[in-house]
Amino acid sequence: MSHGGGESGRLLEKSQHAKRKSGASGDEFAQAIAKIAVAQICESAGFQTFQQSALEILSDATIQYIRNLGKLAQSYTNLAGRTNVNALDVIQGLEELGSSQGFADASDIDHCIASSGTVRELVQYFSEAEDIPFAYSIPTFPVVRERKPVPSFLQIGEEPPPEHIPAWLPAFPDPQTYVQLPTENEGATDSNTRKFELARLHTRTDRSLPNLQNYTGNGSGGPSSVAPVGGSEAKLAVEGNPFLAAPLQFGEKEVSHVVPPAKPSNEAAVRNLIDQNCLLDNHVPVLDTFAPPIEAMKSWSCDSEDGQKKVLLNQRPAVQFKIGVGKKSLGIALELSSQNKGVEKMSPWSGKDSEKDDKKIRAEKILKQSTDNPRELAQL
Amino acid sequence: MNHTNNTQQSNDARHDDDAALTEFLSSLMDYTPTIPDELVEHYLAKSGFQCPDVRLIRLVAVATQKFVAEVAGDALLQCRARQSAVVKDKREKQQKDKRPILTMEDLSKALRDYGVNVKHQEYFADSPSTGMDPASRDE
Repeated sequence: MSHGGGESGRLLEKSQHAKRKSGASGDEFAQAIAKIAVAQICESAGFQTFQQSALEILSDATIQYIRNLGKLAQSYTNLAGRTNVNALDVIQGLEELGSSQGFADASDIDHCIASSGTVRELVQYFSEAEDIPFAYSIPTFPVVRERKPVPSFLQIGEEPPPEHIPAWLPAFPDPQTYVQLPTENEGATDSNTRKFELARLHTRTDRSLPNLQNYTGNGSGGPSSVAPVGGSEAKLAVEGNPFLAAPLQFGEKEVSHVVPPAKPSNEAAVRNLIDQNCLLDNHVPVLDTFAPPIEAMKSWSCDSEDGQKKVLLNQRPAVQFKIGVGKKSLGIALELSSQNKGVEKMSPWSGKDSEKDDKKIRAEKILKQSTDNPRELAQL
Repeated sequence: MNHTNNTQQSNDARHDDDAALTEFLSSLMDYTPTIPDELVEHYLAKSGFQCPDVRLIRLVAVATQKFVAEVAGDALLQCRARQSAVVKDKREKQQKDKRPILTMEDLSKALRDYGVNVKHQEYFADSPSTGMDPASRDE
Protein backbone atom coordinates (compact mmCIF):
# COMPACT_ATOMS: atom_id res chain seq x y z
CA MET A 1 0.00 0.00 0.00
CA SER A 2 2.83 2.34 0.78
CA HIS A 3 3.98 1.85 -2.75
CA GLY A 4 0.55 2.78 -4.04
CA GLY A 5 0.67 5.99 -2.03
CA GLY A 6 3.97 6.85 -3.64
CA GLU A 7 2.52 6.18 -7.05
CA SER A 8 -0.46 8.34 -6.43
CA GLY A 9 1.72 11.15 -5.14
CA ARG A 10 3.68 11.05 -8.35
CA LEU A 11 0.43 10.90 -10.24
CA LEU A 12 -0.87 14.03 -8.64
CA GLU A 13 2.29 15.85 -9.61
CA LYS A 14 1.95 14.57 -13.13
CA SER A 15 -1.68 15.54 -13.37
CA GLN A 16 -0.89 19.02 -12.15
CA HIS A 17 1.79 19.23 -14.77
CA ALA A 18 -0.69 18.08 -17.41
CA LYS A 19 -3.17 20.67 -16.24
CA ARG A 20 -0.64 23.41 -16.67
CA LYS A 21 0.25 22.14 -20.12
CA SER A 22 -3.14 21.37 -21.62
CA GLY A 23 -5.17 24.15 -20.06
CA ALA A 24 -8.32 23.65 -18.03
CA SER A 25 -10.74 21.11 -19.45
CA GLY A 26 -12.52 21.02 -16.10
CA ASP A 27 -12.11 17.31 -15.55
CA GLU A 28 -8.50 16.93 -14.42
CA PHE A 29 -9.42 16.27 -10.82
CA ALA A 30 -11.71 13.38 -11.69
CA GLN A 31 -9.18 11.99 -14.13
CA ALA A 32 -6.42 12.10 -11.54
CA ILE A 33 -8.62 10.29 -9.03
CA ALA A 34 -9.51 7.69 -11.64
CA LYS A 35 -5.81 7.14 -12.27
CA ILE A 36 -5.10 6.63 -8.60
CA ALA A 37 -7.97 4.17 -8.26
CA VAL A 38 -6.92 2.25 -11.37
CA ALA A 39 -3.34 2.14 -10.12
CA GLN A 40 -4.52 0.69 -6.85
CA ILE A 41 -6.56 -1.98 -8.62
CA CYS A 42 -3.60 -2.83 -10.86
CA GLU A 43 -1.40 -3.13 -7.85
CA SER A 44 -3.83 -5.53 -6.23
CA ALA A 45 -3.85 -7.51 -9.51
CA GLY A 46 -0.09 -8.00 -9.23
CA PHE A 47 1.55 -5.16 -11.14
CA GLN A 48 4.22 -3.22 -9.34
CA THR A 49 5.17 -0.60 -11.90
CA PHE A 50 3.53 0.80 -14.95
CA GLN A 51 4.12 2.90 -17.97
CA GLN A 52 2.53 6.30 -17.64
CA SER A 53 0.72 6.05 -20.97
CA ALA A 54 -0.64 2.60 -20.15
CA LEU A 55 -2.09 3.85 -16.90
CA GLU A 56 -3.62 6.84 -18.64
CA ILE A 57 -5.27 4.67 -21.25
CA LEU A 58 -6.57 2.20 -18.68
CA SER A 59 -8.03 4.98 -16.58
CA ASP A 60 -9.62 6.51 -19.66
CA ALA A 61 -11.14 3.14 -20.51
CA THR A 62 -12.43 2.90 -16.94
CA ILE A 63 -14.07 6.30 -17.16
CA GLN A 64 -15.66 5.34 -20.45
CA TYR A 65 -16.91 2.12 -18.90
CA ILE A 66 -18.63 4.01 -16.10
CA ARG A 67 -20.16 6.48 -18.51
CA ASN A 68 -21.36 3.79 -20.90
CA LEU A 69 -22.87 1.82 -18.06
CA GLY A 70 -24.64 4.93 -16.81
CA LYS A 71 -25.93 5.76 -20.27
CA LEU A 72 -27.22 2.24 -20.88
CA ALA A 73 -28.90 2.04 -17.48
CA GLN A 74 -30.52 5.41 -18.04
CA SER A 75 -31.76 4.39 -21.47
CA TYR A 76 -33.29 1.20 -20.04
CA THR A 77 -34.93 3.29 -17.35
CA ASN A 78 -36.37 5.65 -19.90
CA LEU A 79 -37.52 2.70 -21.97
CA ALA A 80 -39.53 1.54 -18.97
CA GLY A 81 -41.01 5.00 -18.58
CA ARG A 82 -39.21 5.91 -15.39
CA THR A 83 -36.72 8.61 -14.48
CA ASN A 84 -35.02 7.04 -11.47
CA VAL A 85 -32.67 4.18 -12.21
CA ASN A 86 -33.09 0.94 -10.30
CA ALA A 87 -30.83 -2.08 -9.88
CA LEU A 88 -32.44 -4.07 -12.70
CA ASP A 89 -31.64 -1.32 -15.19
CA VAL A 90 -28.02 -1.38 -14.11
CA ILE A 91 -27.94 -5.15 -14.46
CA GLN A 92 -29.41 -4.92 -17.94
CA GLY A 93 -26.74 -2.39 -18.79
CA LEU A 94 -24.08 -4.71 -17.42
CA GLU A 95 -25.44 -7.54 -19.55
CA GLU A 96 -25.25 -5.39 -22.64
CA LEU A 97 -21.73 -4.25 -21.86
CA GLY A 98 -20.66 -7.80 -21.11
CA SER A 99 -22.23 -9.21 -24.26
CA SER A 100 -18.94 -8.85 -26.15
CA GLN A 101 -17.21 -11.25 -23.79
CA GLY A 102 -20.27 -13.30 -23.05
CA PHE A 103 -21.53 -14.39 -19.66
CA ALA A 104 -23.33 -17.36 -18.15
CA ASP A 105 -26.87 -17.87 -19.41
CA ALA A 106 -26.41 -15.22 -22.08
CA SER A 107 -28.10 -17.48 -24.62
CA ASP A 108 -31.22 -17.83 -22.46
CA ILE A 109 -33.49 -15.03 -23.59
CA ASP A 110 -36.24 -15.56 -21.03
CA HIS A 111 -34.06 -15.60 -17.97
CA CYS A 112 -34.93 -13.35 -15.07
CA ILE A 113 -32.76 -10.30 -14.81
CA ALA A 114 -32.22 -10.87 -11.14
CA SER A 115 -30.66 -14.26 -11.91
CA SER A 116 -28.42 -12.90 -14.62
CA GLY A 117 -25.03 -14.45 -15.15
CA THR A 118 -23.38 -11.07 -14.84
CA VAL A 119 -24.80 -10.62 -11.38
CA ARG A 120 -23.53 -14.02 -10.35
CA GLU A 121 -20.09 -13.21 -11.68
CA LEU A 122 -20.20 -9.91 -9.91
CA VAL A 123 -21.18 -11.51 -6.62
CA GLN A 124 -18.39 -14.00 -7.05
CA TYR A 125 -15.86 -11.26 -7.70
CA PHE A 126 -17.25 -9.31 -4.79
CA SER A 127 -16.80 -12.20 -2.42
CA GLU A 128 -13.28 -12.93 -3.62
CA ALA A 129 -11.94 -9.41 -3.96
CA GLU A 130 -10.02 -7.93 -1.11
CA ASP A 131 -11.38 -4.76 0.31
CA ILE A 132 -9.00 -2.00 -0.77
CA PRO A 133 -10.35 1.39 0.17
CA PHE A 134 -9.30 4.39 -1.84
CA ALA A 135 -6.05 5.92 -0.67
CA TYR A 136 -7.44 9.40 -0.07
CA SER A 137 -10.59 10.89 1.28
CA ILE A 138 -12.24 12.92 -1.42
CA PRO A 139 -14.59 15.82 -1.00
CA THR A 140 -17.75 15.70 -3.09
CA PHE A 141 -17.14 17.25 -6.44
CA PRO A 142 -17.68 19.17 -8.60
CA VAL A 143 -18.01 21.91 -6.03
CA VAL A 144 -21.06 24.04 -6.69
CA ARG A 145 -20.82 27.41 -5.06
CA GLU A 146 -24.03 28.63 -3.57
CA ARG A 147 -25.17 31.86 -5.09
CA LYS A 148 -26.19 34.51 -2.66
CA PRO A 149 -29.16 36.27 -4.17
CA VAL A 150 -29.65 39.98 -3.73
CA PRO A 151 -32.09 40.55 -0.84
CA SER A 152 -35.51 41.75 -1.88
CA PHE A 153 -37.28 44.85 -0.61
CA LEU A 154 -39.29 42.60 1.67
CA GLN A 155 -36.19 41.06 3.29
CA ILE A 156 -34.53 44.40 3.83
CA GLY A 157 -37.75 45.77 5.22
CA GLU A 158 -37.87 48.97 3.26
CA GLU A 159 -40.60 50.18 0.98
CA PRO A 160 -39.87 50.20 -2.75
CA PRO A 161 -39.52 53.84 -3.79
CA PRO A 162 -41.91 53.80 -6.75
CA GLU A 163 -45.17 52.12 -5.90
CA HIS A 164 -45.40 50.03 -9.04
CA ILE A 165 -42.42 47.86 -7.98
CA PRO A 166 -43.61 44.88 -5.95
CA ALA A 167 -41.89 44.23 -2.64
CA TRP A 168 -40.60 40.77 -3.57
CA LEU A 169 -38.28 42.10 -6.25
CA PRO A 170 -34.58 42.55 -5.38
CA ALA A 171 -33.81 45.84 -3.73
CA PHE A 172 -31.94 48.60 -5.48
CA PRO A 173 -28.24 48.81 -4.71
CA ASP A 174 -26.99 51.62 -2.52
CA PRO A 175 -27.19 54.98 -4.26
CA GLN A 176 -23.46 55.64 -4.01
CA THR A 177 -22.82 52.63 -6.23
CA TYR A 178 -24.56 54.19 -9.19
CA VAL A 179 -24.61 57.93 -8.45
CA GLN A 180 -21.41 58.56 -10.34
CA LEU A 181 -22.45 56.67 -13.41
CA PRO A 182 -24.43 59.42 -15.18
CA THR A 183 -21.43 61.77 -15.46
CA GLU A 184 -19.40 59.03 -17.11
CA ASN A 185 -22.26 58.32 -19.41
CA GLU A 186 -22.56 61.98 -20.33
CA GLY A 187 -18.91 62.06 -21.18
CA ALA A 188 -19.38 59.04 -23.36
CA THR A 189 -22.40 60.53 -25.10
CA ASP A 190 -20.53 63.80 -25.57
CA SER A 191 -17.72 62.09 -27.33
CA ASN A 192 -20.28 60.12 -29.30
CA THR A 193 -22.15 63.21 -30.37
CA ARG A 194 -18.89 64.86 -31.27
CA LYS A 195 -18.00 61.93 -33.45
CA PHE A 196 -21.46 61.98 -34.93
CA GLU A 197 -21.19 65.65 -35.77
CA LEU A 198 -17.82 65.13 -37.34
CA ALA A 199 -19.27 62.36 -39.46
CA ARG A 200 -22.18 64.62 -40.40
CA LEU A 201 -19.80 67.37 -41.43
CA HIS A 202 -17.98 64.89 -43.64
CA THR A 203 -21.20 63.79 -45.26
CA ARG A 204 -22.19 67.43 -45.72
CA THR A 205 -19.01 68.18 -47.60
CA ASP A 206 -19.53 65.02 -49.59
CA ARG A 207 -23.02 66.09 -50.41
CA SER A 208 -21.91 69.57 -51.44
CA LEU A 209 -19.70 68.10 -54.13
CA PRO A 210 -22.57 66.78 -56.27
CA ASN A 211 -24.30 70.12 -55.69
CA LEU A 212 -21.32 71.86 -57.16
CA GLN A 213 -21.43 69.51 -60.06
CA ASN A 214 -25.08 70.39 -60.50
CA TYR A 215 -24.20 74.03 -60.70
CA THR A 216 -21.52 73.45 -63.26
CA GLY A 217 -23.80 71.10 -65.17
CA ASN A 218 -26.53 73.69 -65.33
CA GLY A 219 -23.96 76.24 -66.38
CA SER A 220 -22.93 74.12 -69.30
CA GLY A 221 -26.58 73.55 -70.20
CA GLY A 222 -27.60 77.18 -70.15
CA PRO A 223 -26.22 80.57 -69.20
CA SER A 224 -24.18 80.73 -66.00
CA SER A 225 -26.37 83.47 -64.60
CA VAL A 226 -29.30 81.08 -64.22
CA ALA A 227 -29.10 80.62 -60.48
CA PRO A 228 -29.17 84.25 -59.38
CA VAL A 229 -31.76 85.30 -61.92
CA GLY A 230 -33.98 82.28 -61.45
CA GLY A 231 -35.15 83.44 -58.03
CA SER A 232 -36.90 81.17 -55.56
CA GLU A 233 -37.98 78.59 -58.11
CA ALA A 234 -34.48 77.92 -59.37
CA LYS A 235 -33.09 77.82 -55.87
CA LEU A 236 -35.73 75.36 -54.82
CA ALA A 237 -34.86 73.18 -57.76
CA VAL A 238 -31.17 73.23 -56.91
CA GLU A 239 -31.79 72.58 -53.25
CA GLY A 240 -34.16 69.78 -54.01
CA ASN A 241 -31.58 68.20 -56.22
CA PRO A 242 -29.06 66.75 -53.74
CA PHE A 243 -31.25 63.77 -53.00
CA LEU A 244 -31.50 62.99 -56.67
CA ALA A 245 -28.07 64.29 -57.57
CA ALA A 246 -25.88 61.23 -57.27
CA PRO A 247 -27.65 58.70 -59.50
CA LEU A 248 -28.94 61.09 -62.17
CA GLN A 249 -27.17 62.69 -65.08
CA PHE A 250 -27.83 66.23 -66.01
CA GLY A 251 -29.93 65.51 -69.02
CA GLU A 252 -32.42 63.59 -66.91
CA LYS A 253 -32.44 66.24 -64.23
CA GLU A 254 -33.51 68.98 -66.52
CA VAL A 255 -36.19 66.74 -67.85
CA SER A 256 -37.56 66.29 -64.38
CA HIS A 257 -38.21 70.02 -64.22
CA VAL A 258 -40.13 69.91 -67.41
CA VAL A 259 -42.37 66.98 -66.61
CA PRO A 260 -45.07 68.65 -64.47
CA PRO A 261 -46.54 71.23 -66.85
CA ALA A 262 -50.22 71.88 -66.35
CA LYS A 263 -51.08 72.32 -70.01
CA PRO A 264 -51.99 69.16 -71.82
CA SER A 265 -51.74 70.91 -75.16
CA ASN A 266 -48.05 71.71 -74.78
CA GLU A 267 -47.21 68.39 -73.18
CA ALA A 268 -46.93 66.71 -76.52
CA ALA A 269 -44.20 69.06 -77.63
CA VAL A 270 -42.43 68.79 -74.34
CA ARG A 271 -42.63 65.02 -74.38
CA ASN A 272 -41.14 65.04 -77.79
CA LEU A 273 -38.30 67.05 -76.43
CA ILE A 274 -37.88 64.65 -73.52
CA ASP A 275 -37.87 61.71 -75.84
CA GLN A 276 -35.30 63.45 -77.91
CA ASN A 277 -33.15 64.04 -74.82
CA CYS A 278 -33.47 60.52 -73.64
CA LEU A 279 -32.54 59.24 -77.03
CA LEU A 280 -29.54 61.45 -77.43
CA ASP A 281 -28.39 61.34 -73.82
CA ASN A 282 -26.82 64.75 -74.23
CA HIS A 283 -29.27 67.56 -74.54
CA VAL A 284 -26.98 70.51 -75.29
CA PRO A 285 -26.73 70.05 -79.05
CA VAL A 286 -30.42 69.24 -79.17
CA LEU A 287 -31.31 72.46 -77.46
CA ASP A 288 -29.10 74.31 -79.87
CA THR A 289 -30.70 72.60 -82.80
CA PHE A 290 -34.16 73.41 -81.58
CA ALA A 291 -33.28 76.99 -80.86
CA PRO A 292 -35.25 78.53 -83.77
CA PRO A 293 -38.68 77.00 -83.02
CA ILE A 294 -38.24 77.62 -79.30
CA GLU A 295 -37.32 81.19 -80.00
CA ALA A 296 -40.46 81.47 -81.99
CA MET A 297 -42.49 80.03 -79.15
CA LYS A 298 -40.87 82.39 -76.69
CA SER A 299 -41.72 85.37 -78.78
CA TRP A 300 -45.34 84.21 -78.96
CA SER A 301 -45.57 83.66 -75.26
CA CYS A 302 -43.99 87.05 -74.64
CA ASP A 303 -46.49 88.67 -76.90
CA SER A 304 -49.34 87.02 -75.19
CA GLU A 305 -47.98 87.97 -71.82
CA ASP A 306 -47.58 91.51 -73.00
CA GLY A 307 -51.22 91.42 -73.89
CA GLN A 308 -52.12 90.26 -70.41
CA LYS A 309 -49.74 92.45 -68.51
CA LYS A 310 -52.16 92.99 -65.69
CA VAL A 311 -52.06 89.36 -64.75
CA LEU A 312 -48.41 88.42 -65.21
CA LEU A 313 -46.69 91.61 -64.25
CA ASN A 314 -45.09 90.19 -61.14
CA GLN A 315 -43.52 87.34 -62.99
CA ARG A 316 -41.77 89.39 -65.60
CA PRO A 317 -38.16 88.72 -64.55
CA ALA A 318 -38.83 85.03 -64.23
CA VAL A 319 -40.27 84.93 -67.72
CA GLN A 320 -37.21 86.62 -69.08
CA PHE A 321 -35.01 84.01 -67.42
CA LYS A 322 -37.10 81.34 -69.03
CA ILE A 323 -36.33 82.82 -72.34
CA GLY A 324 -32.69 82.02 -71.64
CA VAL A 325 -33.33 78.30 -71.11
CA GLY A 326 -35.69 76.96 -73.70
CA LYS A 327 -37.22 73.88 -72.15
CA LYS A 328 -37.43 75.12 -68.61
CA SER A 329 -39.19 78.24 -69.73
CA LEU A 330 -42.05 76.20 -71.15
CA GLY A 331 -42.76 74.22 -68.02
CA ILE A 332 -42.28 76.98 -65.51
CA ALA A 333 -44.12 79.56 -67.51
CA LEU A 334 -47.09 77.27 -67.70
CA GLU A 335 -46.92 76.57 -64.00
CA LEU A 336 -46.73 80.25 -63.22
CA SER A 337 -49.61 81.01 -65.44
CA SER A 338 -51.69 78.37 -63.74
CA GLN A 339 -50.69 79.78 -60.39
CA ASN A 340 -51.78 83.23 -61.42
CA LYS A 341 -55.08 81.93 -62.67
CA GLY A 342 -54.38 83.22 -66.11
CA VAL A 343 -55.05 79.76 -67.46
CA GLU A 344 -58.49 80.48 -68.78
CA LYS A 345 -57.29 83.48 -70.65
CA MET A 346 -54.20 81.78 -71.97
CA SER A 347 -55.83 78.53 -72.95
CA PRO A 348 -57.32 79.71 -76.25
CA TRP A 349 -54.10 80.97 -77.82
CA SER A 350 -51.94 78.21 -76.39
CA GLY A 351 -54.35 75.64 -77.75
CA LYS A 352 -54.12 77.04 -81.28
CA ASP A 353 -50.47 77.97 -81.29
CA SER A 354 -49.25 74.79 -79.70
CA GLU A 355 -50.75 72.84 -82.57
CA LYS A 356 -48.85 74.96 -85.02
CA ASP A 357 -45.74 74.66 -82.88
CA ASP A 358 -46.11 70.92 -82.72
CA LYS A 359 -46.23 70.69 -86.45
CA LYS A 360 -43.25 72.98 -86.83
CA ILE A 361 -41.22 71.19 -84.18
CA ARG A 362 -42.01 67.79 -85.56
CA ALA A 363 -41.00 68.81 -89.02
CA GLU A 364 -37.78 70.35 -87.75
CA LYS A 365 -37.09 67.37 -85.59
CA ILE A 366 -37.48 64.87 -88.35
CA LEU A 367 -35.13 66.91 -90.47
CA LYS A 368 -32.59 67.25 -87.71
CA GLN A 369 -32.81 63.64 -86.72
CA SER A 370 -32.09 62.57 -90.21
CA THR A 371 -29.06 64.85 -90.32
CA ASP A 372 -27.86 64.42 -86.73
CA ASN A 373 -28.35 60.70 -86.22
CA PRO A 374 -25.15 59.55 -87.90
CA ARG A 375 -23.23 62.08 -85.80
CA GLU A 376 -24.92 61.09 -82.57
CA LEU A 377 -24.42 57.43 -83.26
CA ALA A 378 -20.76 58.08 -83.79
CA GLN A 379 -20.64 59.96 -80.50
CA LEU A 380 -22.40 57.18 -78.65
CA MET B 1 -48.85 -31.62 -12.30
CA ASN B 2 -45.45 -31.69 -13.75
CA HIS B 3 -45.95 -28.32 -15.28
CA THR B 4 -47.10 -26.71 -12.05
CA ASN B 5 -44.16 -28.28 -10.31
CA ASN B 6 -41.82 -26.70 -12.82
CA THR B 7 -43.35 -23.28 -12.44
CA GLN B 8 -43.20 -23.60 -8.71
CA GLN B 9 -39.56 -24.53 -8.91
CA SER B 10 -38.80 -21.64 -11.17
CA ASN B 11 -40.73 -19.35 -8.87
CA ASP B 12 -38.68 -20.58 -5.98
CA ALA B 13 -35.53 -20.09 -7.96
CA ARG B 14 -36.60 -16.58 -8.79
CA HIS B 15 -37.30 -15.90 -5.17
CA ASP B 16 -33.86 -17.20 -4.37
CA ASP B 17 -32.36 -15.00 -7.03
CA ASP B 18 -34.24 -12.01 -5.76
CA ALA B 19 -33.12 -12.74 -2.26
CA ALA B 20 -29.52 -13.14 -3.42
CA LEU B 21 -29.70 -9.87 -5.32
CA THR B 22 -31.16 -7.94 -2.40
CA GLU B 23 -28.62 -9.49 -0.10
CA PHE B 24 -25.83 -8.56 -2.46
CA LEU B 25 -27.13 -5.02 -2.75
CA SER B 26 -27.47 -4.61 0.98
CA SER B 27 -23.97 -5.98 1.51
CA LEU B 28 -22.75 -3.22 -0.80
CA MET B 29 -23.78 -0.74 1.85
CA ASP B 30 -20.90 -1.79 4.08
CA TYR B 31 -18.41 -2.12 1.28
CA THR B 32 -15.99 0.59 0.27
CA PRO B 33 -14.95 -0.02 -3.31
CA THR B 34 -11.54 1.07 -4.52
CA ILE B 35 -13.15 3.40 -7.03
CA PRO B 36 -14.54 6.16 -4.85
CA ASP B 37 -18.26 6.86 -4.82
CA GLU B 38 -17.72 10.49 -5.68
CA LEU B 39 -15.91 9.64 -8.90
CA VAL B 40 -18.57 7.18 -10.02
CA GLU B 41 -21.34 9.57 -9.09
CA HIS B 42 -19.68 12.36 -11.04
CA TYR B 43 -19.36 10.37 -14.23
CA LEU B 44 -22.79 8.79 -13.89
CA ALA B 45 -24.29 12.24 -13.50
CA LYS B 46 -22.47 13.25 -16.65
CA SER B 47 -24.19 10.46 -18.58
CA GLY B 48 -27.64 11.32 -17.29
CA PHE B 49 -27.88 8.69 -14.59
CA GLN B 50 -29.76 9.97 -11.59
CA CYS B 51 -30.39 7.90 -8.52
CA PRO B 52 -30.22 8.78 -4.85
CA ASP B 53 -29.46 5.16 -3.91
CA VAL B 54 -25.86 4.65 -2.79
CA ARG B 55 -26.11 0.92 -3.43
CA LEU B 56 -26.50 1.45 -7.15
CA ILE B 57 -23.47 3.72 -7.20
CA ARG B 58 -21.57 1.03 -5.37
CA LEU B 59 -22.91 -1.59 -7.78
CA VAL B 60 -21.52 0.38 -10.69
CA ALA B 61 -18.29 0.91 -8.80
CA VAL B 62 -17.91 -2.80 -8.15
CA ALA B 63 -18.70 -3.64 -11.77
CA THR B 64 -16.10 -1.13 -12.93
CA GLN B 65 -13.60 -2.47 -10.47
CA LYS B 66 -14.23 -5.95 -11.78
CA PHE B 67 -13.71 -4.71 -15.32
CA VAL B 68 -10.41 -3.04 -14.46
CA ALA B 69 -9.24 -6.02 -12.46
CA GLU B 70 -10.03 -8.36 -15.34
CA VAL B 71 -8.17 -6.18 -17.80
CA ALA B 72 -5.23 -5.90 -15.43
CA GLY B 73 -5.25 -9.66 -14.89
CA ASP B 74 -5.21 -10.27 -18.64
CA ALA B 75 -2.40 -7.77 -19.06
CA LEU B 76 -0.49 -9.52 -16.30
CA LEU B 77 -0.95 -12.84 -18.06
CA GLN B 78 0.32 -11.28 -21.29
CA CYS B 79 3.26 -9.86 -19.40
CA ARG B 80 4.10 -13.20 -17.79
CA ALA B 81 3.83 -15.03 -21.10
CA ARG B 82 6.12 -12.51 -22.74
CA GLN B 83 8.62 -12.69 -19.91
CA SER B 84 8.67 -16.45 -19.88
CA ALA B 85 9.32 -16.41 -23.64
CA VAL B 86 12.15 -13.98 -23.10
CA VAL B 87 13.53 -15.90 -20.18
CA LYS B 88 13.82 -18.95 -22.35
CA ASP B 89 16.16 -16.99 -24.61
CA LYS B 90 18.11 -15.01 -22.07
CA ARG B 91 18.54 -16.66 -18.73
CA GLU B 92 20.71 -13.92 -17.35
CA LYS B 93 17.88 -11.38 -17.48
CA GLN B 94 15.65 -13.49 -15.25
CA GLN B 95 16.42 -11.56 -12.11
CA LYS B 96 15.97 -8.18 -13.66
CA ASP B 97 12.57 -8.83 -15.23
CA LYS B 98 10.89 -10.21 -12.19
CA ARG B 99 8.90 -7.13 -11.41
CA PRO B 100 5.85 -7.09 -13.66
CA ILE B 101 5.37 -3.81 -15.52
CA LEU B 102 2.10 -2.63 -16.95
CA THR B 103 3.15 -1.76 -20.47
CA MET B 104 1.21 -0.47 -23.40
CA GLU B 105 1.96 -3.62 -25.33
CA ASP B 106 0.30 -5.91 -22.83
CA LEU B 107 -2.49 -3.51 -22.05
CA SER B 108 -3.48 -3.03 -25.66
CA LYS B 109 -3.63 -6.80 -26.14
CA ALA B 110 -5.74 -7.18 -23.01
CA LEU B 111 -8.06 -4.33 -23.91
CA ARG B 112 -8.63 -5.68 -27.39
CA ASP B 113 -10.57 -8.57 -25.84
CA TYR B 114 -12.88 -6.05 -24.19
CA GLY B 115 -13.64 -4.13 -27.32
CA VAL B 116 -11.18 -1.30 -26.82
CA ASN B 117 -8.80 -0.79 -29.70
CA VAL B 118 -5.60 0.86 -28.58
CA LYS B 119 -3.13 1.77 -31.24
CA HIS B 120 0.18 2.57 -29.69
CA GLN B 121 2.36 4.87 -31.68
CA GLU B 122 5.49 3.13 -32.74
CA TYR B 123 8.04 5.63 -31.53
CA PHE B 124 6.01 6.98 -28.65
CA ALA B 125 8.30 7.87 -25.74
CA ASP B 126 6.63 6.83 -22.51
CA SER B 127 9.42 8.03 -20.28
CA PRO B 128 12.73 9.85 -20.59
CA SER B 129 14.53 6.52 -20.37
CA THR B 130 12.65 4.99 -23.29
CA GLY B 131 15.45 5.24 -25.81
CA MET B 132 18.29 4.74 -23.38
CA ASP B 133 18.63 0.99 -23.34
CA PRO B 134 17.69 -0.42 -26.72
CA ALA B 135 18.69 -3.94 -25.69
CA SER B 136 16.10 -4.13 -22.94
CA ARG B 137 13.48 -2.50 -25.15
CA ASP B 138 13.97 -4.85 -28.03
CA GLU B 139 12.91 -7.88 -26.07
